[in-house]
Amino acid sequence: MQERLFGVKDAFVAGAIVAFFYLLFTQELGYLTGYAEVVWWLAAILWATVLFKKGFDYHRIMNSFGLSFLVIIGFIFVFFDLALKFEGIPRAIALFLIPLMIVAILGYIHDKIMTVRELRRRRKIKVPINKRVRTTLYKLDPIMIVFIVVGFSILITFLLVPVFMMLFNSFVVPPGEPFYYNFVYIFNNPPYVKHMLLPGEASWYAIIPSGNTSLIIFKGINYGIVVNSLINSTIVTTVATFLGILVAFVLARYDFPGKAVFRVLAMVPLFITPFVNAYVVRILFGPQGPISMLTQSLFGYQIEIKDLAGIAMAQIMAFYPIVYLNAFSSFISIDPSMEEQAENLGSKGAKLFFTVTLPLALPGIIAGSILVFIFSLEDLGAPIVFQYPWVMSYQIYSSFTSETGIVSPQIAALGFIMLFIAVLAFLAVRSFVSMRSYAMISRGGRWKPRVRKLGWKGLLFVYLVMLPLIIFTAMPQIGVILLAFNIIPPYGFKIQLDKATAKYFIGIFTNPTYFQYIRNTLTYAAMAVVLATIISIIIAYSVSRTRIRVITPIMDTLATIPLAIPGLVIALGYFYFFSTFFRGTPLDPTSVTTFQAWIVLVIAYTIRKLPFVVRSVYAGFQQVHEALEEASLNLGASRTKTIFRIVLPMITTYIISGIIVGFIYITTEVSTSITIGGLNPAQAPMTFIMKNIYYGGTVYGVQYVASMGVLLILFQLIAVLIITVVLKQRYAFIGV
Amino acid sequence: MTRVRLENITKVYGSVVAVDRVTLEIESGELFTLLGPSGCGKTTTLRIIAGFEVPEEGKIYFDDEDVTFLKPYKRNTAMVFQNYALWPHMTVFDNIAYGLRIKKLPAEEIRRRVKWALELVKLEGLENRYPLQLSGGQQQRVALARALVVEPRVLLLDEPLSNLDAKLRIEMREEIKKLQRKLGITTVYVTHDQLEAMSISDRIAVMNKGKVLQYGPPRQVYFHPTSLFVADFLGRSNILYGKAGRQHDGYIDVYIPDLDATLTGVPVREITSRDVAVVIRPEIARLVEKYETVENKLVGRIDLAMFLGDKVELRVNVGKSSLIIYMSNLYEPTLDSEITFYLPKDSLIVLPVEKPLNIK
Repeated sequence: MQERLFGVKDAFVAGAIVAFFYLLFTQELGYLTGYAEVVWWLAAILWATVLFKKGFDYHRIMNSFGLSFLVIIGFIFVFFDLALKFEGIPRAIALFLIPLMIVAILGYIHDKIMTVRELRRRRKIKVPINKRVRTTLYKLDPIMIVFIVVGFSILITFLLVPVFMMLFNSFVVPPGEPFYYNFVYIFNNPPYVKHMLLPGEASWYAIIPSGNTSLIIFKGINYGIVVNSLINSTIVTTVATFLGILVAFVLARYDFPGKAVFRVLAMVPLFITPFVNAYVVRILFGPQGPISMLTQSLFGYQIEIKDLAGIAMAQIMAFYPIVYLNAFSSFISIDPSMEEQAENLGSKGAKLFFTVTLPLALPGIIAGSILVFIFSLEDLGAPIVFQYPWVMSYQIYSSFTSETGIVSPQIAALGFIMLFIAVLAFLAVRSFVSMRSYAMISRGGRWKPRVRKLGWKGLLFVYLVMLPLIIFTAMPQIGVILLAFNIIPPYGFKIQLDKATAKYFIGIFTNPTYFQYIRNTLTYAAMAVVLATIISIIIAYSVSRTRIRVITPIMDTLATIPLAIPGLVIALGYFYFFSTFFRGTPLDPTSVTTFQAWIVLVIAYTIRKLPFVVRSVYAGFQQVHEALEEASLNLGASRTKTIFRIVLPMITTYIISGIIVGFIYITTEVSTSITIGGLNPAQAPMTFIMKNIYYGGTVYGVQYVASMGVLLILFQLIAVLIITVVLKQRYAFIGV
Repeated sequence: MTRVRLENITKVYGSVVAVDRVTLEIESGELFTLLGPSGCGKTTTLRIIAGFEVPEEGKIYFDDEDVTFLKPYKRNTAMVFQNYALWPHMTVFDNIAYGLRIKKLPAEEIRRRVKWALELVKLEGLENRYPLQLSGGQQQRVALARALVVEPRVLLLDEPLSNLDAKLRIEMREEIKKLQRKLGITTVYVTHDQLEAMSISDRIAVMNKGKVLQYGPPRQVYFHPTSLFVADFLGRSNILYGKAGRQHDGYIDVYIPDLDATLTGVPVREITSRDVAVVIRPEIARLVEKYETVENKLVGRIDLAMFLGDKVELRVNVGKSSLIIYMSNLYEPTLDSEITFYLPKDSLIVLPVEKPLNIK
């Protein structure tokens, strides 16, 4: 008789039973309310502990992407459910998830303890610490010590210290209040969290009769700043994930006429055109927009999408390609023999997809989804263009525009929450992406991906559903070009080919009012990219060539984590950092007239976009086998000579593509540009004026700013071409 | 000419002892091979000599100079890497000239010496090629030239032939041997291939689990292994376990329960316990008529016969055990027939069984 292990099903059963009794007794019958509710939590935890003690098979959770993802999401959900005091169904869901999460934690801790014990047991040989240090030092040549010290100093000074200053400020409270006052305030006060909705607010749409037609407005419900952000990001992530998987699967696995066009169109939304694309979405879904015109003639209604719904729409269109790209590369990197084996055993169609294909591609897809969640959370473009202030990103941004020059601690607390979610999600991504090799298991050489012809039903679906969808999501970028050349007017929607003109596009170079912003952006980007490249070489070399316990991994994490830190958190951090340590100098953001924004901007760009450059340079160092360096050392060249004569010449293409990618992401940077940059408008970059035009609601200048969007698209197009055609590398799109 | 001396070298990685108290003396001008299975610490030992690793314990001397903590770029050793480590962005000439340029020799001198090195490895005329344009064998020669041109104190070769195909390997190993003899350069050679080791070395050190088990000239190590591991690793061996019996005139009788017979052999080491093993090299078996009286006569049944071209390999069931023996290629075996052979007692090695009978 084999001993029966308790499985995931048992954890779900436990959760379901506790949740059911909670709903029955606490919600319906009114027993055990308030603090007595803790009984349910204890029951769930206790049950899980018993399951674990009885031999719960927790590796099942660790080894399943879906389940471990659920556990991570569960933590975020439970945290906010408790913090925001949502009762009823949300709490029941939380209780339902608790047993699974508890067994996962217990299993994780148990595993950790076991490995530590195992290590202790095996480590009989004790090498004295002085000898270990001697060995480490021997392998570090002077230049490597310089690299490590310099790299660390930069990361600590300009990344860790500012972020900690922001964290510190989120705990600055009015006298007599507890240290967590700001968070209690945020979680309990109406602008941030609304537990009661006014009658007029409870509907997510509105119908306004006008003349013989009526206007349907989709707007979403305002549950308060924090909740809005969370709900919006969740919806955006979910929809973007479904869309991304769908498009990726069809393009990866089926062949049909015009597929190449589909693939190009699907990439279009990846071109970043801050603010302008959200503006085009607003026009598209405006009361006079093309969609509205269509519904008017078909059904006799006008429609408009605005507020939260508008933000969600703009973000879905902008971010779904991130999932698409991740999913696509996951699908084509699945060994065909995996699916063939399943077919061979009689599986096909949806069964095959859900039992073999999707599970294998899931790590990559989830990595993409989590990035979408982070980007959606920190996105400023859509909220500003839709002029909807009740989301976290907008609140942080607007604290910079208040004339007082003081950012309130509650804003810092919002930054803290944003950082908390983003970093948690990012760490989850890292563990998922590192497990990505799963999808490439049994990689026996290059294979031809499974591609087959579509039947007529499939073709109908592709041309009638997917084509419009893909064209639709490419509309913002297309619209930017139409706007720039005045083919559509700045307001409303009408194709006016006769009025097409290039004067606006030329104008951004000839008109000093606009050109100064372009000049600023290019100057800052050039400076920042040089700095970022030097720092990247220093850090990437240290990380790839030294194996010092604790120090090397920390450096690695610090160099990649800016990817997850919301730009607004950096902006807040820099505000506190420079106004504290550089008070009264030209670097003090609060000294309104003398503030030299450009220096702070260049530093912020360097640090924020460092991960993109580091990643490319690091990939280069990894291509250089260590023996190539050792051969040089062996022949009498010092480490410094080896780096300059052997290593760097070998990775020039990687450095160049790092520079190009860094440049692109710096020129399109928004968060610090419009906050820090906004503190001295004369030194502000391109994205600042783009924001200004769309924020002001003025018609004047729209075409100029759209032209800047076109300029940015051109930069990106050239970058893609140089990297893929000349350097023959992959273009590092966000998250890929 | 440099003599290399390793004194009690110990290297620890995490909780693994990669090199365990290794003491070796490599005479100047000799070709010394570190032989052992993968993970035995031979490459680590080589890297310690080169200065890429520093030992936790022990000292290394080049002649009488202590180089234990000397940086690799100050040791003047030259290494040929397993994957050659040629710099792909430099031509053959630049690759070979690199070490000389680092020493800031005059251009004329560099040209002369690179030419000399290219002639040495027979690659004249390929100066301006890039490594990727060369075949594996040619890359190997470039790597060798790059190492030799700097006139190193010690030449270090890390499995230099493992990436070549079988024929080329034999050709290159002869060439390396000739070159080394001609230049008289102290050479440390690392390999896991026992044939390669025996064919080119002046002396071999057999390593396992970080320890040097035995070292000496190839013949000595082959004919007189002092441990079962060495006996098994060098050449092929049948190892049979038994109980030690009478010792007489430098021989020892061993009762083998599996054969239900007593074999007589030469004890290579002092036998102190009753548990011993007999090592039978397959090539020592001689055919004999069934009625003849000779030492160590065995009667078995042929279970499997394989014709290998230069010899015939037989698997013979004797008692409860199964032995591999070689016969001349003229011998035509019949499966399942009886075969009678004897094992000359002077070639039969008897070793004490040290620890658990757990070989490899």
